[in-house]
Amino acid sequence: MDAGPTTEPKATSSTEGLRPVPGVWVGNLRDIVERLVGLPPIKSLINWSRLYSLWPVHLTTACCSAEFGAMMGPRYDPERFGMQAAVGSMRQSDLLVIEGTVTKKMLKRIKVVWEQMPNPKYAIAMGDCACSGGLFHDSYSIINEVEKTIPIDVYVPGCPPRPEAVLNAVIKLREKIRREEVYSK
Amino acid sequence: MSTLDLNVGPQHPGSGHMRIMVKTDGDLIVEATPDIGYVHRGIEKIAESRNIIKNIPMLCRPNIADDSHLNWSYIKPIEDLQGVEVPERGRYIGTILCEINRIASHLYGMAIMGGIFSGHTTMYMFGFGDRELLLDLHEMLTGARMTFSFFVPGGVRRDLPKGFKEKLLETLEYIERHLPAIDRIFVSNPVFVQRTRGVGVLRKEDAIKLGVVGPVLRGSGIRCDVRKDAPYGAYDKVDFEIPTFKEGDSLSRWLVRFEEIKQSISILRQAIRDIPGGPIARKAPIVIPTGEAIGRIESSRGEINHYVVGDGGDKPYRVKMTTGSLKNLAALPFLLKGVRIGDLPIIYGSLDYWPVEADR
Amino acid sequence: MTISPSVQEEHIATAIRNELGNAVDEVTSQRKDRISVVARKDTLREVAQGLQRLGFDHAVSVSGVDLLEEKKIEVLYFLSSYSRDDLKHLVLSLRVKLDRESPSLPSLTPVWESANLFERETYEMFGVNFEGHPNLRKLLLQDNWDGPPPLRKDLKIPEMG
Repeated sequence: MDAGPTTEPKATSSTEGLRPVPGVWVGNLRDIVERLVGLPPIKSLINWSRLYSLWPVHLTTACCSAEFGAMMGPRYDPERFGMQAAVGSMRQSDLLVIEGTVTKKMLKRIKVVWEQMPNPKYAIAMGDCACSGGLFHDSYSIINEVEKTIPIDVYVPGCPPRPEAVLNAVIKLREKIRREEVYSK
Repeated sequence: MSTLDLNVGPQHPGSGHMRIMVKTDGDLIVEATPDIGYVHRGIEKIAESRNIIKNIPMLCRPNIADDSHLNWSYIKPIEDLQGVEVPERGRYIGTILCEINRIASHLYGMAIMGGIFSGHTTMYMFGFGDRELLLDLHEMLTGARMTFSFFVPGGVRRDLPKGFKEKLLETLEYIERHLPAIDRIFVSNPVFVQRTRGVGVLRKEDAIKLGVVGPVLRGSGIRCDVRKDAPYGAYDKVDFEIPTFKEGDSLSRWLVRFEEIKQSISILRQAIRDIPGGPIARKAPIVIPTGEAIGRIESSRGEINHYVVGDGGDKPYRVKMTTGSLKNLAALPFLLKGVRIGDLPIIYGSLDYWPVEADR
Repeated sequence: MTISPSVQEEHIATAIRNELGNAVDEVTSQRKDRISVVARKDTLREVAQGLQRLGFDHAVSVSGVDLLEEKKIEVLYFLSSYSRDDLKHLVLSLRVKLDRESPSLPSLTPVWESANLFERETYEMFGVNFEGHPNLRKLLLQDNWDGPPPLRKDLKIPEMG
């Protein structure tokens, strides 16, 4: 028995032909989830959990690492902000602090570390050398502009910046995360 | 025998950015080759294009935890060439700053080796917490926590401020009271001792052949220290000993640093008691006469040498720095042969290698 | 802090002259705790072994200086002693001048193992070839460096005053 010529159903959008009913969301599942999660209660919860557990990678670049190490010490206590350097592996951290001068030999490796970090991830440029070249800007072997390779969120000037300045940068980063859209990355 | 190539790369859970390319057979290291240069900023080249005074902050950056030693070692040959003699009070103040800096640097080294590399976070917190009190003293005397740029040709920049002596003695008393706690928790701790005793043994003949310096040298039984062999500053007027241990393993290198802190406390007490009055600096020109000179200082990681060549202008013709970490690097491939991978962090930490200083 | 040489340095300089004879061109002491020995490229190994016999068992470092006007590169070995108490306070500089176009000299790593890393650094920074070095390759520069040896005066960086 021949099945007669079949007609392909016309491709329609998911909401075409349906009347909007007040109080009911109609649409495909992904849009619904994105809209729900982007609403203030869940968005604040997700952002709150991200900003209260910023774990930095153990990557020291140059001399500013001495002040970064002092910041992780007991007097400045970054653990009250949730920042602990417990693991150090890049797969389980979300903050990259570029401390100090970046040389041409090191840039490739920083890029590899950055690409291995899972999203969402943030970067802080600590010290004059990471911001703009600093004391060694005319050297033959350093990179003056790190932001062309790694997108930086907060810049901290200083040579070296005091630990309070770095903590201030972390607080500014937390404000930035608090306002962030959940699906923006 | 097939070996596995591993990369203890520029990013590793300790601190420091140098790479060790390791070939292993199972758990044993067959060969280890260090690869350095990740922080090479060309300091010696830049120093030829800047005025001698403007060079001071830049030449102190290789070892930011030992700033005063690098500074003094650069200024001494310039003063030799200019024929300027530093007054006695200036030398005493320089010695006081250098010894406070040495205690702070040793606490940093002990915190990294005992804390991060052997997994005891308590030592990290002890080391960095006590160090903060010394950085407060630095700030009181020089204005900065770590980067002082305190020595200029002719002497030092500032005199001791009011209240410095009382605060110094109070801080030294606190640190001296805290050292037995470190002794009880770490030096006598069987876990720490088992990880470090007999690990990475450097015998006396090998230490001389490889040319190591500093606590690595004194941990292998050779009593050499520039402060006693060729005294500078006020070191010929104070009484102190050079701790030396003959076992040559990682624990002796750690203990050398621990004992040196006690000696530094004694030097500081004598210096602040005996400091004479008078000027702190003499006027010196901002030119380097034609000629060459060598400066030698004992920093906390070893002997530092600066070789300065002048041509009559205000910029040096050549500045060559030799730092303790670059000389100790020769011991690393030697010590890592034939040990297990688990001992690599302890050996690396006991050499107290500061990569920025080695790469300059 | 006196800067003039003392009697002790003169004694040691005389002992070196007696031991090494014609192999060295000049042995002087210009200030306290410093002695300078000028040698030639062909006698360098012999002078080094002679100094080691006299008790200088530690090569502190190796350096180069680019003497642009004389068109020469001077290589200096700084030596000291760990085992002899009467030589511990000294730094002896063993120097040799080489032609700037193609500087090359015998490596002293067989005599002092501690000169190994510093000879590699002088090789990459000045272009000096050390004959007989076990592992002469770059130490600090990046892998794809293609400019002139950095510490020669040919490489110019901006003067900052």
